This record gives sequence, C-alpha cells and structure tokens, in this order.
Amino acid sequence: MNKITVRRLLFLWNSIRKVYSFFFFMGKKSNKTKIFFIVALLPVIMALIIKLNPIFSGRSSTEGIYIFSNVIIVFYLQALILLLALFFGTSVCSEEVEGKTLTYLTTRPVSKSAIILGKYAAYTSLVILMTGIGVTISFLILNVNKLHDFSLYEILIRDVIVLSLGIMCYTALFTFVGTFLKKSILFGFVFGFGWENVIQYFPGSTQRFSIVHYLKSLLPVPKTGRFSFLMFKLEPSTPVAAVFMLFLITGIFLGLACLFFSLKDYIFED
Amino acid sequence: MTIKEKGYAHWDGEFLDKKFPWWPITRYGIKLTFRRKQFKFIFPLSLLPAVFFLAGIYVSERLEDFPFFGRETVEFLQINPSYFKAYLASSFMIFLIVIIVIFCGSGLICDDLKHNALQLYFSRPIKKKDYFFGKTAVIVFFLFILTLVPGLVFFIMKLVFSGSFKFFVSYPWLPLSIIGYSVVVTAFFSFFTLFLSSLSKNRRYVTILIFGTYILSDIFYRIFYDIFSNHYFSLLSLRANLQQVGAVFFSQKTPYPIHWIYSLLVLSGICVLAGFVLKKKVKGVEIVK
Amino acid sequence: MKTVIETKKLSKWYGNVLGLSDVSLQIEAGITGILGPNGAGKSTFLKLITGQIKPNIGSCTIEGQKIRNNYHFYSKIGFCPEQDSFYEEMTGWQFMTGLLKLHHYSPSEIKAMTKEALEIVELTEDKDRVIKSYSRGMRQRLKFAQAIAHKPEIIVFDEPLNGLDPLGRRKIIRLIKSYEEEGKTILVSSHVLPEIEAMTKQIILIHQGKVFAQGDIHYIRDLIDTHPHIVSIKCRNPRQLASTFIQEDYVLNIHFGSADNTLLIETNNRDKFFSLLPSLFVKYNIEVDEITSPDDNLQAVFDYLVEK
Repeated sequence: MNKITVRRLLFLWNSIRKVYSFFFFMGKKSNKTKIFFIVALLPVIMALIIKLNPIFSGRSSTEGIYIFSNVIIVFYLQALILLLALFFGTSVCSEEVEGKTLTYLTTRPVSKSAIILGKYAAYTSLVILMTGIGVTISFLILNVNKLHDFSLYEILIRDVIVLSLGIMCYTALFTFVGTFLKKSILFGFVFGFGWENVIQYFPGSTQRFSIVHYLKSLLPVPKTGRFSFLMFKLEPSTPVAAVFMLFLITGIFLGLACLFFSLKDYIFED
Repeated sequence: MTIKEKGYAHWDGEFLDKKFPWWPITRYGIKLTFRRKQFKFIFPLSLLPAVFFLAGIYVSERLEDFPFFGRETVEFLQINPSYFKAYLASSFMIFLIVIIVIFCGSGLICDDLKHNALQLYFSRPIKKKDYFFGKTAVIVFFLFILTLVPGLVFFIMKLVFSGSFKFFVSYPWLPLSIIGYSVVVTAFFSFFTLFLSSLSKNRRYVTILIFGTYILSDIFYRIFYDIFSNHYFSLLSLRANLQQVGAVFFSQKTPYPIHWIYSLLVLSGICVLAGFVLKKKVKGVEIVK
Repeated sequence: MKTVIETKKLSKWYGNVLGLSDVSLQIEAGITGILGPNGAGKSTFLKLITGQIKPNIGSCTIEGQKIRNNYHFYSKIGFCPEQDSFYEEMTGWQFMTGLLKLHHYSPSEIKAMTKEALEIVELTEDKDRVIKSYSRGMRQRLKFAQAIAHKPEIIVFDEPLNGLDPLGRRKIIRLIKSYEEEGKTILVSSHVLPEIEAMTKQIILIHQGKVFAQGDIHYIRDLIDTHPHIVSIKCRNPRQLASTFIQEDYVLNIHFGSADNTLLIETNNRDKFFSLLPSLFVKYNIEVDEITSPDDNLQAVFDYLVEK
C-alpha cells in the first residue's frame, strides 16, 4: 500500500470514528432506543417468571441453561434482533432523509461511506449492548443456583457472540435496504419473518440462502419436540464456514450501502 | 382619514352544525392510503381469501360435481357458522388485518404529529372526538371491507346459491354474529393502531411497534405454554384472544380451554388504556420544557 | 475579480419536473443574492453547487474543483439549509459540537468554535435546551450558527431570514455583510427582494428553473420600477380622485372597481406615484379608507419580466 492509500484509509477510519461517536451519543439519548431497550429486556421478565414459577407452583423447574439456550437465545435470534436490526438498520439512511437532516452530514468533510459505516457501527453497537444486557441478565436469573459453574459462562459468551454476529449481519442488510428503498420496512418484514422462516423448511442447500441458517449453525442442534417451532429443520454448515459467510454477507451489504448512498440523490419530501 | 385599528375582524356568526365534521378527515385518510404504491398491490391480495371462501360456498352446493374431494374437504365445505369463523377468526385473517392496519393506520396520528398538523385540525370547528372518529373511520373502512363485507356477502351468496331460506332459518343469528365479531375486531385494531400511532412522529417506528407487538405477544404465549402447559398464557397473545372471542360469536368451542370472558377483558383493557393514552397525547398545543 | 463558483449548462430534473435548466454562471467573491419566487429552482441550484445532488447535465466547480463527493472540500464550505429540521432530541450545544467533530477539530477547538458561533447568534443562554423546545427564530439562528461555526470561506444560505423577527433579520443581514468584508464568498437565496437588496448589489434572478438575469441589482430595480403597477385606493369620492390623477404623465390607466368606492390606478413610476400621493390627498381633502397594491409581489414582477 502506498502512502496516499494509507493516508486515505486513516482519514476514513477517523471519519468513521467521528460519525460513530456522534450517532452513538444521539442514539443513547433517543426515546426510541429507550423503548427498544425495554423490549430487549422482555426475555428478562420471561426468565423471572420461569424461575419464580416453581416456587409458587411447587413443581420442579426445567434446567436453567436448557431454557436459556433453547428459548431465550432462539427468541432473540428469530424475533427480537430481527425487529431491532430492522428498525436501526433502516434508520441509518431513512432517518436522515425522513427527518431532512441529511444535509448536515453531507456538507461536512467526511466521505459518504464514512457516514454509512459510522452510523451503522453506532447503531449496531447500541443493539448489541441492548441485547447483551438482556441476555446476560436472563442468563444470571435462569442459572442463579449454578453461578459457580464456569463452564456455563462459555455458553453465555458463545450465545452473545452468535447474537452479535446476527445483529451485525441483519443490520448491514437492512442498512443497505434503507439506502435504496423508500419504504424499506415491508421488505424487512417479508425477509425477516417470511423468507428467513419459510426457507428453513426447504431441503438441501436452499436454507443456505438465509442468514439465520449460518447463525443457527453456530448453536447446538436442539432435540425435536419441545420448542421445535423455534428451530425448524436445520442442516448446519460448519462453524468456520458460517462465520465466514456472516462476515462476507455483512461486507457485501455494507459495501453496496456505501455505493448506493454515494451515488443516489436523496430528495426530501414535503 | 379613518385609520383602521385592526387588519382582522372577529366573526360574529354562528357555526352551522355540520352533521359529519369528521368526514373530511376520513376521506383524506382513505385517499392517502390508496395513494401508496405498496398498498395498491397488497390490498387486492388481502381480498383473495374472501374469493376462495366464496368459491367454497359455491362448491358446497355442487359437491356432487367434485367426487375427487377428500372427506376433510367435504367436511370443511359444510357451510355453517364454523365456516364463517374459519374465515373471520383464522390466524391468517388476523395477520392480514395487522398488515392492512400497518398501511392504513400507522401514519394516521403519527404523521399529524410529525407535521404539527394537530394545531391545524383543532383550529377548525372540529372537536377532539371528531378527530378521533375521523381517524378511526379510516381503519373501520378498510377492516370492514376485509371482515364485515365478505362475511355478509358469504351469507347472502349461500342463500342465493342454495335457492332457499333453509340456511337462514337454521342460523338466523349468524348475520348478527358476523356484524358483532367484525365490530369487535375492528374496534380493537382501531384503538390499538391509533394508540401506537400516537406514540411517535416516526411512521417506521410505529410500523415496527404494531408488527412487533402482535408477533411478540404470540411468541411469548407459545413459549410460556410450552414450558408451563398452562392455557392461561394464551391471554398474552393478541391473536389467541381474538380467536377466543370469535369462537363465542359463532357459537363454537373456544380454541383454548379458558373462559372467553378473560380474553374479552384483555382486549377491552387494551382499548381502555389506548383511549386514555390517546386522550393525553392528542393535543392542539404541545409545550416542550 | 477571480471566479470562485462556476457552473456550465447545469440542469436538473426530478422525474419529469424541471428543477433547473441550462444554468451557466460565474460567481465571484462577495455576496451574491439568488432571487426568485417559491419553486423557482433556488434551492435546487444551491444543492447542486454544494454537491448534495448531482446534475443531469452540466457541471459545477468551486475554485476549479468538482464538488460532489469531494468531501475534503467541505471544510471550506458552510451550508445553511432551508428546511427547518434538526436532531430534535439534542441540545443546541450537542448539535453544534457533534457537527464540528465531523470537521476533525480537537475538542478544545470544537468547544471554542461552538461557543463563538452560539454567541454570534445569541443562543448561549439556551445552549443546553433541547432543540425541540426552541422557537422558530432560535432554530433559524442555530441553523445559521452551524453554517458559520467552522469559519468557512464559502457560505451558502438558503432562505436564512425565514422565521426571524425584524430585529433578528437586521442582525443576520449585518452579519452576512460582515463576512463579505472578510473576503468570503456568500450565496444567499430569498424570494423577498428588499431582503436581498439590503445585503448585496449582485443578484441572480431565477424563475421556472432558468436564470434570466444576473448582475447589478440597479438594473433589476429599473426593470421593476418601469413595471406598470396597479394601486387600489378605497375612498369616499373616487371620481374626484380620478380627475386629479388623469393629468399626471406617470398614470397609464384608471379603472373603477366593482365596489363603488374603489379606484384602480396603473402607473409606470411607482416611486413617484407614492411620493406624490399624500400631498394630493391633502390638497383635495380626500378621505382614504385603504390603499393596496394587488400586484406588489415578486411573482408579479417576474411575470412581467418574463413577458418582456
């Protein structure tokens, strides 16, 4: 790499950092983030109910870690992170166009790619933070009597990483959709709650055309029966291939988002 | 020389008592919804189930022409209140209703908040209740097309295809059930949608709230039911509650073995809460500290 | 003087709506007013020269450089948009510092610049209030502040006086004029002629997406002054008043309005007409109820100029 390229990359990196800090700060203060944070904490209430029920009903409870891996994580994976990524991902561009604030960003000495990447990074980390807190609290509640068992923490770390990869990938996809579609939400619903679910019923390689396939490939395959409606039929890829594909999908969609954002004219509607 | 003190004069006339002051709001809301490209595509699609059910009524009178139908199909095509319930209170129909209210209802109040239009509304001779009524009527219009109209058309067509009043004599209360259930579903979704629409100035956010609340409430129920095997958790699900009430309207066995009154209470509770929040949120002037 | 901004055959369409057509201009340092009625294409022109949208045909350069996607250049540009939009949940201070961060300044520089800009627009006291609680005038001043905070060499103001009270207008006009003295290049758009007149002599007239006049404001003023003007006068005895006007050479036409007491007078010398009017009233003891000028607006002037 010659000096000019290095200087450009450094400038891009610095710009991304500036945009990141601007939107991370703004996102934290936003009322919408607060509401979504409460939504991300819903599984904590679920965990509390599950944990407290045996005390009142007198019945023995299911193993905490089993509930955590098969219910809480899958719930996050198949519903919550999709909703959060859909809102925050599409917000990266649509929020600026709908709010007519894009002008303030595009007349600053930062590249349009830096705006997209910085804002994407800010919102992705906010969502990871929100879900990370919810997941950890749920984990602690469900395994309150086994907190000394350090092997369980490996499961927590693995699951948080898988969720973070999911958030990273879905947010990138919806960021891209937000840059070129005016009404991106419908696409998000169709993809997230239609395609991602339906395609899992198809045999062979078909399910590799979904993001959730690679995420589930990183989790242990659950036994059929209880909670099967959350997992469907999985024919997993190898963990290495899954992680590689998740990063590849993220990279492709972010690249496309930067490209579209740099080329497209955004006209504000009255 | 006379110098005018004021550039305006107070109007001393009396307002004519207009019969439907909310109508312009409704008309504009319906017009705006139809202007949306995606809606133009989705709305006709949402009427497809009604076409299939109507075809089912026709076929039910000609079953001898379809000998290849299996026992289950033939059973399904026995036109009775259960058939009407299968259309109006099915999971698919409730999902369709959610999609339609997202299009026609998510922006109803939220767009007014975004453009500070509430002041414009309330500077005219309309009252708060006219505003709400006008907005609600937009949702009512679309949901009645999806529920009430097909329901009544099925009933009439059954009479026409059968060529007798036997069906009416057997189920004279059915038209009232169709009207009653359609009103309950529409009223619930009107309150629910307007409530969420009043929470933000961002239509995307409201859309996700409507869809998310519906989906998450159902997933919660299914998870809790799988863990505790307790049907009372069905009260968490909007869909399950509507189906419970629907079954009662059509004199069918409720899908969950709990008393339907609880479901009605949950739905009513949501409506009361929504009404309370709406009353607080919709104001002519907003003071920000 | 050196050309700072140059456009060649600049054209922009929004679908089948014409935004701007075939605009070739050279703009020098100093204040240039962009004048035109609403929807004339002023904002489109300003967005094009600041690289926010790309032209369908033609090009635009600032100091010889292409501007679109040339983001390094934006450290030299300040833009005050027309639309009244902000990150509403931020405070004025957070908004300013956040945007200045994107200029890669150090935290101390950002603080100093923000402080200075907010002082200039007199928002220091309200800096910690959330923007959504600001009045229209405060929001306009904040928009102004973010455009000047980084001390740009080229400043583009799109309708900067909207929503300001007369005092605020005077202050902003004075500020804009002070930037000219610093050798900056300033573009100001407005649809109100006296506003532009108060700031500069150099104007560009835009109408229906086309530039049809550029140059000294006196030239435009002359055109406007010779534009036949209709003045409506409501008085007790319009026929008596008409008889006094009929002898004046600057009066082209006299009509009686539909209401009995209205007189419509067409003049080709507006200034002379209005300067002599009071003395005529006094001389003939005419009681006047109302004087209005139905076509005293920019749109009427443009219509007249376009026809011409």
